[in-house]
Amino acid sequence: MNAPTPAPSPADVIPAPVGLLAELTHRCPLRCPYCSNPLELDRRSAELDTQAWLRVLTEAAGLGVLHVHLSGGEPTARPDIVEITAKCAELGLYSNLITSGVGGALAKLDALYDAGLDHVQLSVQGVDAANAEKIGGLKNAQPQKMQFAARVTELGLPLTLNSVIHRGNIHEVPGFIDLAVKLGAKRLEVAHTQYYGWAYVNRAALMPDKAQVDESIRIVEAARERLKGQLVIDLVVPDYYAKYPKACAGGWGRKLMNVTPQGKVLPCHAAETIPGLEFWYVTDHALGDIWTKSPAFAAYRGTGWMKEPCRSCDRREKDWGGCRCQALALTGDAANTDPACSLSPLHAKMRDLAKEEAAENPPDYIYRSIGTNVQNPLSEKAPL
Amino acid sequence: MTAQFPPPVPEAEQRLLSHEELEAALRDIGARRYHNLHPFHRLLHDGKLSKDQVRAWALNRYYYQAMIPVKDAALLARLPDAQLRRIWRQRIVDHDGDHEGDGGIERWLKLAEGVGFARDYVLSTKGILSATRFSVDAYVHFVSERTLLEAIASSLTEMFSPTIISERVAGMLKNYDFITKETLAYFDKRLTQAPRDADFALDYVKRHATTPEMQRAAMDALTFKCNVLWTQLDALYFAYVAPGMIPPDAWQPGEGLVAEGAPAAATAGAPAAFSGSDVPRLPRGVRLRYDEVRVKHVLLAPERTFDLDDNAVAVLKLVDGQNSVSQIARTLGQTYDADPAVIEADILPMLAGLAQKRVLER
Repeated sequence: MNAPTPAPSPADVIPAPVGLLAELTHRCPLRCPYCSNPLELDRRSAELDTQAWLRVLTEAAGLGVLHVHLSGGEPTARPDIVEITAKCAELGLYSNLITSGVGGALAKLDALYDAGLDHVQLSVQGVDAANAEKIGGLKNAQPQKMQFAARVTELGLPLTLNSVIHRGNIHEVPGFIDLAVKLGAKRLEVAHTQYYGWAYVNRAALMPDKAQVDESIRIVEAARERLKGQLVIDLVVPDYYAKYPKACAGGWGRKLMNVTPQGKVLPCHAAETIPGLEFWYVTDHALGDIWTKSPAFAAYRGTGWMKEPCRSCDRREKDWGGCRCQALALTGDAANTDPACSLSPLHAKMRDLAKEEAAENPPDYIYRSIGTNVQNPLSEKAPL
Repeated sequence: MTAQFPPPVPEAEQRLLSHEELEAALRDIGARRYHNLHPFHRLLHDGKLSKDQVRAWALNRYYYQAMIPVKDAALLARLPDAQLRRIWRQRIVDHDGDHEGDGGIERWLKLAEGVGFARDYVLSTKGILSATRFSVDAYVHFVSERTLLEAIASSLTEMFSPTIISERVAGMLKNYDFITKETLAYFDKRLTQAPRDADFALDYVKRHATTPEMQRAAMDALTFKCNVLWTQLDALYFAYVAPGMIPPDAWQPGEGLVAEGAPAAATAGAPAAFSGSDVPRLPRGVRLRYDEVRVKHVLLAPERTFDLDDNAVAVLKLVDGQNSVSQIARTLGQTYDADPAVIEADILPMLAGLAQKRVLER
């Protein structure tokens, strides 16, 4: 009842991974200013070849991975996307194509279906075409997306729409819900922007205010009730206005691993922003060794690395201290409590920062692109 | 049933007990008389009750839940100082909630709705057993009329409740497919609330029972409360398990229920409840798979993995887009040597639940 003693088990056990995020390429026709890819994007010449990806998938299945998320960039930009999908089916892996639906995506869709693709997650930047295309930075993207979605449902593939929400489209939340119903999607993700990577650089242009966020949550909750059994709506609440942080990728090194285009294996897609972490490559090591032994996965796995207030917190094995990358970006130390947590001493400052930025006129977007010289946000935006 | 309370401490030991001895004596009462030992609870937790028997329990127990704040308000009214009242009033907040839709009573209503009852029927309490009403009312009177020490001591069954709650939640989730984690949300809260409440009450009793007589009175009060709980289960067992004598005015299976699947059917485009002739199938994008690493079956769906209990696996293995629900029930009836009609009644809500999560079609 008195002094909390750190729990010995299950945090110390290394669980089998459940999901693999395969970032097949960083190339993408869209230029969304909240892209979760790193600021330094891998070039095509550095990408893993087909054989390497097939080996990664085989090893992943052996480790216990159940879901493979074929992502990017735009994964259909890979010429071998059909072969990679077929390999997932052969191994019994559940394949999820995370796509923008533009460029060559539609042309490859039927072949992907035949190869055994299980599920499609299509990104939609906005409901109004002009707004959507401004956000995605690509003209004529919206009609392509609509055509793509129509073919997905025509084939009988389950469709999820993914909408990343920010101040430029938060007024369209009801529209996203209607669009999902109209397109025959089974799921809709209303995902408030998480401020890592490009979104961190563009935070002031993207941050909505609290009243808008609350209203969007209310709309989603009402729609969930109304559309029960028809549409599942997943809501990702924005960290800056949250009470408790999210478990980063289900806990560092507990559920997910992320393989970058050049084969670097990360505990989460933003982990490279943390200096001093040693990542291993699938070209040098077996995936199982990387999961259990690589220094980057060991660094923040479990609870041993925690400081107060996480260390003695009842929730430490629920949210695992939140996001390490966000803790680093906003507090200067990746082992601090994620300031998204109301128990963090910096939480109030984080909220104030969000409020201030949301109250100002939004600056222009800095669109993502390969080879643009964007300042490292850590030096551009000082910690709290 | 009306026998005198047995003396918990032999006459020879009628001296002032130390705080530790008193606590041990109180815990001993729980170890022998708390209702987790009742045969009805063992049936409940082991999954041996039918859905209707679980319903009878949920319905009757609602009256107990609903009267707890009445009991606590009676006690609160007698507390002489603000500090004590501040602590005790938290119990009322826990049960009544701070606003509509909040609190333990509401969560119990959710549980009752979760097993199929119409909310208004539960609220009316017209289907409860007289023995439930008598026992609960006796508890309220006891707390209003006896000494404050006895009133507080009678709440000490909370010392024992975390054990029963853990057993109950684990057992019910494992054994009844119509019970979900959401249905049992009531117990999530009580797991943390009950020990907090019990710590305070135990401390109060230790400090205020300053004579052997007062200590005996506290022990008798706890025994009385154990009997309040036990008697309710006796009555449930008698009416709904064996010999099955349901009193004339009490709930009969079938009464007060919402038609199954009706809430879903009421919403536009929602899949209606399944019937025996429906042919269920897994839609594209949903796969049943054996996971060799974790040594169990899983249902893979978009962005989700569903853990399945043995019953669900047995059913889903037969879901092939050819077999109707009735055919599946017949096959299972042969395999498990059980009545196909009972199986069918059990699996229909399970299938509807999966359909609502959009992982099953027909």
